[in-house]
Amino acid sequence: MRGSMGRCRDWTQYAFVGPALILLIGINVFPLLYSIALSFTNVDLVGGAWKFVGGFNYAVAFKFAKYGAALRTTALFVCVAVAVELVLGFALALALKDRFGGRAFTLTALLVPMMLPPAVIALFWKLVLNGHYGILNQCLGALGLGQPQWITDPDLKLLSILLVDVWMWTPFMMLIALAALNAIPGYLYEAAAIDRASRWKVFRRITLPLCAPLLGLAVLLRATDAIKQFDLVMAITGPNDPATQTVSALLYQVVFRDGKVGLGAAYSYVVLVLVLALASVFVRYMSSVQRREEAGAQ
Amino acid sequence: MSWLQLKGVTRRFGKAEVLSGIDLSLEGDEMLVVLGPTGAGKTTLLRIVAGLDAPDTGQIEMDGEEVTHWSPAERDIAFVFQHFALYPDWSVRRNLEFPLKAPRQQLASGEIDQRVGWAAELLKIERLLDRSAARLSGGEMQRVAIGQAIVRRPRLFLFDEPLTNLDAKLRESLRLELALLRQELGIPAIYVTHDQAEALSMGDSIAVLAEGRILQQGSPEAIYRQPVSPVVARQLGQPAINILSVQRRGDAWIGPNEAERMPALSGTGEMLLGVRPEDIAPEGGRVPGVVRVVEDAGAAWILWVDWAGASIHIIASKERRFAPGETVHPRIDAERALLWPR
Amino acid sequence: MSFLECRDLVKTFADGTRAVQGIDLRCGEGEFAVLLGPSGCGKTTTLRMVAGLEKPTAGQIVLGGADITDCSPAERDVGFAFQFYALYPHLKVEDNIGFPLESMGLNRQERRQRVADIVERLGLGALVGRYPRQLSGGDQQRVALARAMVRRPQIYLMDEPLGTLDAGLRLEMREMIRAQQLDAGIATLYVTHDQEEAMSLADQVVVMDEGRIRQSGAAALVYDQPADLFVAHFIGSPSMNFITGEIREDCFVAPGLVWPLAEPVRPGPATLGVRPEFVRPDAKGQLRAEVVRDEYQGACRYIHLQAECGRLVMRVADRGREAVGASLGLDFARVLLFDPVSGKRL
Repeated sequence: MRGSMGRCRDWTQYAFVGPALILLIGINVFPLLYSIALSFTNVDLVGGAWKFVGGFNYAVAFKFAKYGAALRTTALFVCVAVAVELVLGFALALALKDRFGGRAFTLTALLVPMMLPPAVIALFWKLVLNGHYGILNQCLGALGLGQPQWITDPDLKLLSILLVDVWMWTPFMMLIALAALNAIPGYLYEAAAIDRASRWKVFRRITLPLCAPLLGLAVLLRATDAIKQFDLVMAITGPNDPATQTVSALLYQVVFRDGKVGLGAAYSYVVLVLVLALASVFVRYMSSVQRREEAGAQ
Repeated sequence: MSWLQLKGVTRRFGKAEVLSGIDLSLEGDEMLVVLGPTGAGKTTLLRIVAGLDAPDTGQIEMDGEEVTHWSPAERDIAFVFQHFALYPDWSVRRNLEFPLKAPRQQLASGEIDQRVGWAAELLKIERLLDRSAARLSGGEMQRVAIGQAIVRRPRLFLFDEPLTNLDAKLRESLRLELALLRQELGIPAIYVTHDQAEALSMGDSIAVLAEGRILQQGSPEAIYRQPVSPVVARQLGQPAINILSVQRRGDAWIGPNEAERMPALSGTGEMLLGVRPEDIAPEGGRVPGVVRVVEDAGAAWILWVDWAGASIHIIASKERRFAPGETVHPRIDAERALLWPR
Repeated sequence: MSFLECRDLVKTFADGTRAVQGIDLRCGEGEFAVLLGPSGCGKTTTLRMVAGLEKPTAGQIVLGGADITDCSPAERDVGFAFQFYALYPHLKVEDNIGFPLESMGLNRQERRQRVADIVERLGLGALVGRYPRQLSGGDQQRVALARAMVRRPQIYLMDEPLGTLDAGLRLEMREMIRAQQLDAGIATLYVTHDQEEAMSLADQVVVMDEGRIRQSGAAALVYDQPADLFVAHFIGSPSMNFITGEIREDCFVAPGLVWPLAEPVRPGPATLGVRPEFVRPDAKGQLRAEVVRDEYQGACRYIHLQAECGRLVMRVADRGREAVGASLGLDFARVLLFDPVSGKRL
């Protein structure tokens, strides 16, 4: 597109981008750089004099046992939650792919968890899972199945939070999986039927590979989100419970309860590096998928 | 000087040169057909003439003025697309009025009604005027799309394979209507297509485009009868022209195993012999061939003949019957055959 | 004994569309049958019912002696070429072609061999390692045909396989399909709206309209002896000329034309049909017409004429351009008569 239109576009394009750019710099870029600076100081919340301490905070971070434990808890949480949500969501999508009576209602009902604020969900599940008067244990008790202490038993705490996260995010996976399934043209299934493929083979050779790119994207989104897990932990067990302390909860504890802003900033940068590493793996995966598409479009 | 002229128009997309040094000319009352396969650069060429795209180098002149950097509106061009760009929720009438309500037009409403009525009558779509565009058949839609182009009475029509998506029968009748209509309006047009039958029947002049280059421009008769190369020759004719490798031996052109193809009138050495299927008679030659398939083309037979190491097509009159396996003696009309250096 | 037989096949869709309204179809062993008709005539629905992709509302389908009406596509033994190729986008060309073989219990070696054979026959050697997206339309359709043919099914079913291709490529592919089918000797049911394609390919042309068969038979039969006005109009390019008039005293009478008939025909309104190649210029001919347009076609010319009795097209060998506006005398070499009400040939 050049010629007579080209000239007037030169300044308008900046005018359109400008406001968003200013906001982005003010809200994202500046705090990012500022917190890097903070991570090299001993600043704390109470205020007072603070000074440059070099890599001291980072050195502490790597020696601190609680930090390693939080990293392990987070990794476990991310892997289990995302895997379970992926399998459950995909299974639900497969079940809901075809039209049947009550499909619209079922879909809407399944999406309810996504519409509620996470804090509300956490408080609601805290009630459900309460060891004494929670509805879950009431039911289990009535069936004579014992009364596990979901929220207070150190062995069950993390499981409970996982359960809530799965309940909350499986619909998201299902939605993306449904979109992926619906994007597969029907004639491919017709061609496979003509080619006498069994149902299992159709699933393995057609459905799964064609859904994979979109499911990969969903896993990336969920994983980067789950790494930040904070709200459920905060509401159900509190930020300082060793059984459920994720990295975000630990950061909260260090910065806002212990008041060590500089140390918290250093922690968070170590996490950032880990997240970036994970994200770059997925970005590379996505762009390889895209390259394949573009190679075909030529 | 010609009314429309393209001089050395080149267009690159990234590294790929889509159009390379295109020279084209169009007279003021002419339909120029650009014929080429998918990917030859036809649509890019049309977009550049329309002003929807600009050439990297080269010039476009319209009626003596250079218009290379003019906007589409300034050029006053009407474009009919392969995929009819109608507004589906609007009535046919509103679709036809739309190009007349552009800010540059400034027509009185009486004038708009009159023009829409005129176009509808010309295209025989009067009874469809109040129907919504979404409820039209493919042929009706394409008529309305053509209507959108003619109501404005532009200086130049551009057609981008407008009949491709239609049924064969409809295509046949619309191509005649379109040619007659354009003649009546007396507005020049460039028509892009990959269909050789459309090109031959509609074009006052044909330009054969392949891989971004114009291989030949001339009257349909010239392109069909005197193609400059085998590539051009293959673009026209159905079934395609027969092309045989031959060698001069004595007073004949011969193929493999010394089989005589045709008496030699001139030329020497190794050549490519091109002969249209209608210029071979099934009998009268010296070398026998075997009929492999007999196709019924309605008015004539199309024979596939295995003829001394080559497979050829012959259009044969229906006055005689043929059966697969039968022996014939093809004779090439040497006056009408073409020879190209190998 | 026919190889494929459809008996009184009916398909009514859920929305009430009566796509197919009673089709009786026979296709012999190794025969090439073409379902021909305008869009919406039910030809594709019929083909899809034979493939098992659509369930007939009523009727019966017999293939190779077995009733397959209620079989799923996988239980039938058919090859299907889709109009829009329907290649598996994530599989390479060789895997696309080999896909139908995977369910046949062949070992890897045999499968490779079969794929290599068909790849060689269709000249796809250079493409085996590519993905469908990287291919042109013609090559994609070639791969789709290879996939339909690789298994050597009982019957090939083809749904306008050339509909989306360039005109030139269409001709080339048409010959390839015919040559392959002749070699393999496998019965084929082929759908198209292009009468020229149908005529050139078919052993049997089945002309359909509005969910019914209008006429079926060899190309020469439907061309020379069309059963009704629809078939007469649909087959042939350019279309047959029709002149409306009436029969009076063993003559067909229309404005500017009195045509004596060889055999007596019942008097009353009638339509005279004459193919463009049977309209011939004749200075002494009683019908006068004016040239409207000369349409060049390379091997011949279509001269469009305006006569008192209507528009006519004449097909002549190329002997130079006719001047628009010139007046010609015409003669007809062969004519057909139709009943204008029922459309049937008289």
